[in-house]
Order: sequence, then C-alpha cells, then structure tokens
Amino acid sequence: MRALRTMFSRGDRTILGRWFWTIDRPLLGMVLLLMGIGLIAVAAASPAASQRLSGANYTYADLYFLKRQVIWVAIGLPVLIAVSMLPKLWTRRLALLGTAGGLAALAALPFLGDEGTNGAVRWIIIGGSQVQPSELLKPMFIVTTAWLLAFRFDDPKVPAIPASGLLLVLIVALLMIQPDLGQTVLVSSIWVAQAFIAGLSATLLAILIAIGAVGILMAYLFVPHVTSRIDRFITGEGDNFQAERSIDAIRSGGLFGTGPGEGQAKFSLPEPHTDYIFAVIGEEFGMIACLFVAILFLAIVVRVITQLFDEDDPFVTVAAAGLAAQIGLQAFINMIVALDLLPSKGMTLPFISHGGSSFLALCIGTGMLLSLTRRSRFLTRAAEPEMRLGAT
Amino acid sequence: MSPAALRTLRIQLAGKRQAHLRRARQRMVVGMALFGCLTLLTGARLADLALREPVGVANAHNLWERIGPRAPIVDRNGSDLARSFEAYYLAVKPQQLIGDPAEIAEQIARIIGERDPADIQKKLSHRGKWAYVERRVMPRDAQALKALGEPGLEIGREWERVYPNGTLAAHTIGHANADGEGMAGLERQLDERLRDPDRADEPVQLSLDTRVQHVLVQELAAQMDRHSAIGGSGIVMDVRTGELIAMTSQPVFDPNAPKFGGGGEMDPRFNRATYGVYELGSTFKALTMAMAMESGVVTSMAQGYDASAPIRIGRHRIRDFHAKNRWLSVPEIFMYSSNIGTAKMALDIGPERQQSYLSQLGMLDRPTLELAERGKPLQPPRWGEASTMTISYGHGLSVTPLHLAAAYAAIVNGGVYHEPTLMKLGLDEQPEGRRVFSEATSARVNALLRLVVKNGTGRNAEAEGYRVGGKTGTAEKPKNGGYARRSLVTTFAAAFPMDDPQYVVVAMLDEPKGIKETYGYATAGWTAAPVVSRVIGRIAPLLDVAPSDTKDVDLSEMLAQVRGAKETG
Repeated sequence: MRALRTMFSRGDRTILGRWFWTIDRPLLGMVLLLMGIGLIAVAAASPAASQRLSGANYTYADLYFLKRQVIWVAIGLPVLIAVSMLPKLWTRRLALLGTAGGLAALAALPFLGDEGTNGAVRWIIIGGSQVQPSELLKPMFIVTTAWLLAFRFDDPKVPAIPASGLLLVLIVALLMIQPDLGQTVLVSSIWVAQAFIAGLSATLLAILIAIGAVGILMAYLFVPHVTSRIDRFITGEGDNFQAERSIDAIRSGGLFGTGPGEGQAKFSLPEPHTDYIFAVIGEEFGMIACLFVAILFLAIVVRVITQLFDEDDPFVTVAAAGLAAQIGLQAFINMIVALDLLPSKGMTLPFISHGGSSFLALCIGTGMLLSLTRRSRFLTRAAEPEMRLGAT
Repeated sequence: MSPAALRTLRIQLAGKRQAHLRRARQRMVVGMALFGCLTLLTGARLADLALREPVGVANAHNLWERIGPRAPIVDRNGSDLARSFEAYYLAVKPQQLIGDPAEIAEQIARIIGERDPADIQKKLSHRGKWAYVERRVMPRDAQALKALGEPGLEIGREWERVYPNGTLAAHTIGHANADGEGMAGLERQLDERLRDPDRADEPVQLSLDTRVQHVLVQELAAQMDRHSAIGGSGIVMDVRTGELIAMTSQPVFDPNAPKFGGGGEMDPRFNRATYGVYELGSTFKALTMAMAMESGVVTSMAQGYDASAPIRIGRHRIRDFHAKNRWLSVPEIFMYSSNIGTAKMALDIGPERQQSYLSQLGMLDRPTLELAERGKPLQPPRWGEASTMTISYGHGLSVTPLHLAAAYAAIVNGGVYHEPTLMKLGLDEQPEGRRVFSEATSARVNALLRLVVKNGTGRNAEAEGYRVGGKTGTAEKPKNGGYARRSLVTTFAAAFPMDDPQYVVVAMLDEPKGIKETYGYATAGWTAAPVVSRVIGRIAPLLDVAPSDTKDVDLSEMLAQVRGAKETG
C-alpha cells in the first residue's frame, strides 16, 4: 500500500520515480498525443493502403496496417522510455556508437541493399522487415555533432565545426549514392542549425546556404530521379498525379472533414499510410485537425527550446535543439509536400506515419532528447554565473 | 599554475561559455521563429485549400468524377448545339462484392438489357479496385440496379455531353470524349473556356444559324448523292463581319458517337471546309481581276488580251476550256473563264504584287479561326512567273474553301478583309477589318461576278430575285505528280445580292461524277452552281434578304465589251 501511495510522489527515490520527476513531462505528453493521433490516422489510412498495396497474389486485410502500427507503438514506446532513462553520458556513448554503426551500414548499402520503389537503394532487409539505416543514423549523428560542437563553447579555437562538417560530408556522400535528396537536405539543414547555435559566423552561414543551393541545383541537373521530381513539381506537367490526389483529399475534407471512414479520395492517394497521411487526416478529420497537428509540432519545438533557456550544458543545448529541429523539420517538410508546396520527398510525418525504421528511429531520438533534458524541475537557472562560481 | 591563476582561467572560461550560451539561446529564438513561419505557411495553405469549394467527395477516387459540366454551345439565335447533363453509370468494386458474380451479372443483364451476362461477369470478377460496367444507364434502370442492394456495385452520375443536332455542324463543334475533354473542333479549341467551372452556365454563342446550316447541309448532301461525290464542303459567311453563318464538311460524323475510321481524307472527321487544302481553280480569277484593277494593270473594261493560242511554259501548256481562239476583252476573259487571258494579265501584275495581295487576303497562312483544324496553304516551292500565271487561275496554290470564302467576302463587301470567325459578334464588336481593294474595284468585280451568273459559266447558280453573282472553279486533282483528268474538285464561289452584297456562299464538291441530266459533265457549272442556287433560294428569306425584280447590278459597262452580247436589262 505504502509503495503504491509513494509511487510517483515527490518522495519517491526509485529509478522510475526519479525518472518521472525529472523528465520533461509536457514534451512526453505531446509525443504520446502525436502517437495517439497516429494510431487514429493510420486506422483511417489503412484500408486505402491495403487496397493500394494488395496485388494479384496477396491481399492485405483492411486494418492490416493499423495492427502493424499497434505493434510498432508497442515496440517503440518502451524503447523511447528506456532510452530516456539513460544517463547523459550513456546517451552520448550510444550516439557515438550508433553513428559509427550507421555509417558502416550506410556504406554497406550499395552491396547489401534492396532496391526501393523509385530507383533508390535505401533499405536493408533484416528478419523480413525493411530497415533504413539513414533513419537510424539521423539522431545518432545529431547527438554526435552536438558533442563535437560543444567544445567550441569553452574554446572557439577547437576546430569543432570542420570536424563535424567532415562527418556530415561523409554522410551526405553516402546518402547521395542511394540517392536520397530528401534525407540529405534534412541532415544538412539540421547540421547547419546546430553549427549556427554553436556560433557559426554569419559569413560562413551564408556560404553554407549558397553551397546547399548549388548542391540542390547539381542534384537537379545530374541525378535523373531528382530532375524528374522537381520538373514535375515546377511545370505541373507529366505525372504530377500524387500531389494532385493529395490536394483533392484535403479539399474534399473541407473544414471539418468527411468523418472517420467516410473518405473516398484517400483511396487514390499514393502511400496514404506514410508519405501522404497528412492528406488522409485532412480528408477525414478536416483542416482544423490538420492545423492542430501542425501546431502540435510547433509546440514541441517551442517547448524544447524554451526549456533550453535554463540549460547550462552546451552539449545538451546543441543536442536537444538538433533533435527538436529534426522532428520539426521532418514534420513540416512532410506536411508542406502533402500541401503541394514542395516536390515529393519521401519523408514520413513523425510519430503519425505508419511505423518502420523511421518510427523506431524517432522513438530512439526522442528518447535521447528526453534523457538529455532530464533535470530537476524545481530549480531554475542561477541568474548570475559568478555567484555559483563564488560558491566553489 | 598557481591556484589564483587557475581560478582566473576558470572564471574566464566560464564567462566565455556563458557568453556563448547566451548567443546560442538568441539564435535558438531565431530558429523558433522560423518554425513559427512554417506553421503559418501550413495554416495559410490549409485554409486556402479547405475553404475552396470542396471537390465531389462521393466518388473522388475515380478520375471521371472530376469531370465538371461543360458550358453549353448555342447558335446565334440561342438554340442548343451542345449541352451537358448528368447521366447515370454503373461501376463495380470487385473486392466489395458480396453476392455471387454470376448471379449478379445475370440480374444486371436483365435490367439493362443488350448485354451478355458472361461479359458483365468478367467485369465483376476482374482483378482491380474499380471499373465501369456500363457507362450509360437509363434513370429507370439505375433505380432497379440500386434496388439490388449490392455494396460492390456503384451507381453514380457523371456529366455527359450531348449534341442534340447530331451530325448537323459536327466538324465545327467537334466533340468531347467520355472523360469530358474536348477532342476536336470548337470543343477542343475552346476546351479551357468550356470547362471553366465559373462559366459553366454561360453558353458560348456561335455565329452559326442552325436554320441556314440545315439548308446548306441538306442541299450539299443531296448534290453529292446525285453526283456520287466523295466529299464536299459548304460555307455561308456574312461579308460585313466575317461571321460564319453556316459551314459544313461532308461526309459527316455523329459527335454523340464519333467513330474513328479511314484515315486522312477518308476519315469522316476530316474537315474539308477548314482543314483540307485544294486547288480551287477558276474561282481565283476573281482575285486576279481585282488585283489587276487595284494595281492599275486593268484600267478600262475595253482592255483585253490575245487568247488565240495556248501559252507554253516548259513542257506545260496553258489552254482554255471554252476556247474562243481570239482576242478577248476583260469581261470576256472572266465570263468565258479564259486561262490564257487571265495568265497574261497576271504576268502584268507580277509575282511580288500577286503575293502581296494574296497575303493581304490571308491566302498564304493558316486561316484565323476558332478551330484547331486549320489547313496550311500549299505554296509553290519557287514562285516565279510560271507560278504567277497558274495561280492566277487557281492552280499551284492550294487553300481551304474557308480561305476562298474570306477572300470573296473582302472583294464583294467594298474591299475590306475580315478575319473569319465562328463567334457571334455583338453590335459593339463589329470588326474594323483591313482594306485590300478600293470600293471602285469591288464594284467592278461585283459586276463581273454578276455577269458570269447572268450570261456566263455560272448560269445554274441564279436564284430567282436574289441577284446572285459568282464564279465557277473546276480543277483536276493532283495525282502522282500530274493531274487526274477524271478526279475533279468543283467549286462555286458566290455572293448575293450583288447590288448590295451581304453573304458569300461557297459550295465545293470533291470528285463529282457526270450524270445523264448534266450530259455527262461534272464541271462546277453543272455540279456546284446548282447547290448555290438552291441554298440561296432557301436561305435568303431566313437572312432577311428581300427578293426583287427591279434591283440589279448595272452591267452595261461590261456588256458593251462582250462581243455578240445583247443588253438584257
């Protein structure tokens, strides 16, 4: 009885109790809410996805993808909680190891990989399910970058930016072999954001943005798969079918949606359960639900960053900001693609899109974010650093 | 390092770290603001999409459902030429069928009839998500099909295009396919306008007059039958504005159920009025006459040319069909349709001036018209004196009948060229046009045209009381590098009433054969001219042209120069 009563009370000194009182609970709450929304959205998208993916030899049951998503959540959520319980040091070690392992896997892709649907080699098949090493690598790389960049806070002469930049170039090179422009843009943008936080000069920032623009232009000119996608987007000619169906779905939903299970446009959506799940939400639950999802992602970013205002550890600051930026950027790129304001990227909507390694990677990344931002929730930052120094 | 120094270093380091953290926090605020912007963008776009008119939700998964209604097309008096209405269709979602496909197929066949149950069953059990079973179902049958209560069957409505007049102006109106896309004619050319959802209720009004169109089609088709022609075309144009009052190409097709067959000219969809180009023969002589007078080559009707001997150009000879073998005055050259006289006149005009006039008359470019099917004239590769001579009587330059009608309109209306149009022009939209000939030239050529009908080769074109003027044109069709004696294109280009020309009528027959009643002749005077006569006799009352026994063109100036002609008042 006593144990039950003291569980999650402030006096609770068990591992779970300490975890509960130090974790960023609003952040965790929002992530759980997104996963819940994800289950509902996947339930809505599942029949459409089943119909679309059923072939002559095999038909998926209507709610096949919902069942799979429940299993993914059942795996991912414990992983998230477990990672969030790691001490800071262990999180860092996990990230460094993960970066090394991820790089190795990415490098091995051209030899082991399974060709994906649109001319890109992105997957490794492990035990019957597809694993996308680049997804798992993302959070690891972000935390590793943060670890390197944190040295600059104490001594700007440490060549942290070139060092982590080198790592970025390596990853980008491996991603472009696949080729995966979407992930490249995402990983590079997050790195630039982190370097910016770590004191990248404005001149260098401008140069990097220019390099990025040139890079995208080069990809457009020399990578056929990228060329065709961007062409289709700009001219609206050729097979722009996907984006148009997405727009149709959102329009047919209107403000309040058609109601769950009532959507029809979703049946002509490509990848309704992953890349275009935002359009399914739009059709069945309406524009207001879509807006709510967008605001929820904004809220996650805002919550992480405002919490970082009280943070004194540069590593935590850069790492948490990077992980939050990853969630936010990935979410907004996905939504903006579904709204036909960007060419199709093949990016999932965090926590909402149906599972796979992307979902698992997000769970690990969010676990790391929660682990890094754990601290006493009753103390605020000392106003003047000298005061604390004076105490030593 | 002394403890004091170490302490200072620590403080310095900590101070630096704090400064850097402060900067990091400031910069994170920038990042946060960027995400705020992204959220605003997303919200704005969502609002933009969601607040637009929702698309048809019910069946948005099938492409055809996205077909909206097309705006109606009506004639100048407002009667329907093309209209959209909602028809029923029957489709199947095989994966959602509950009952036995064979049994359902049986039931469907019993309701809609005329379909093989086995065929329907194949549709019902095909591997796919969705398919049409029957694109058009009667409303009564649709009710019965719904009553089957089979969830795998979908009875929906979609827009269908209907052409109530069938073949009447099929080439001009064209047709839209089952998916609501304009495939030919105006339906294709005005596709965007017709599909515009904001203007779906606002009809497109054409210059065509259904009543005149009926007469033209009927008379032309009858004449084609009589002379076993393989094709034909007819045009009625308002010379004051360039509006096309009627236009047909024969044979016809039914836009309600267009059949694709033949190929090239043999396809019934081939538009002989605006797309097919032909050497239109002596009808061109009226153009040459007008050019000669306008350019000062011919100043008096008493002038003339020696037409006693054929002209040799290389191995080719220019001869007269109705050879008089003597010197001919200008009116005689026109009246007897002398190739020799016209060719000599053209030499005096010269290639440059000839090209310039033809170009001003729009004869060297695709016609301007609201149709996709516009033929490009075939010009000689080298336009020297030889070409100038042959073109003067309608050989060596192939144009569409529409070109000819527009050029005739410019000649007879006082000399102003109007671009032909299929759109009804309002009173405030009267086109200014482009002056090519003077009023005096126009009046003289009008008299010559009237002379041909009264005393020359075009007598069969006269319509009692309506003062018809016009010119015949008989051309052999080019074949294998030469000309085919027996395959003719016969044309009659006319205008009425010649004392105040208001309408041009062009009738053309493709490969008419001679018959007993025409003494075996298949020339324009025998085949095309009668069509014009009958058409004008019937349409003049519809177009408010009053018959008159007293009004006519004064032909005395012309007749004075015609040997053996009696003044016939």
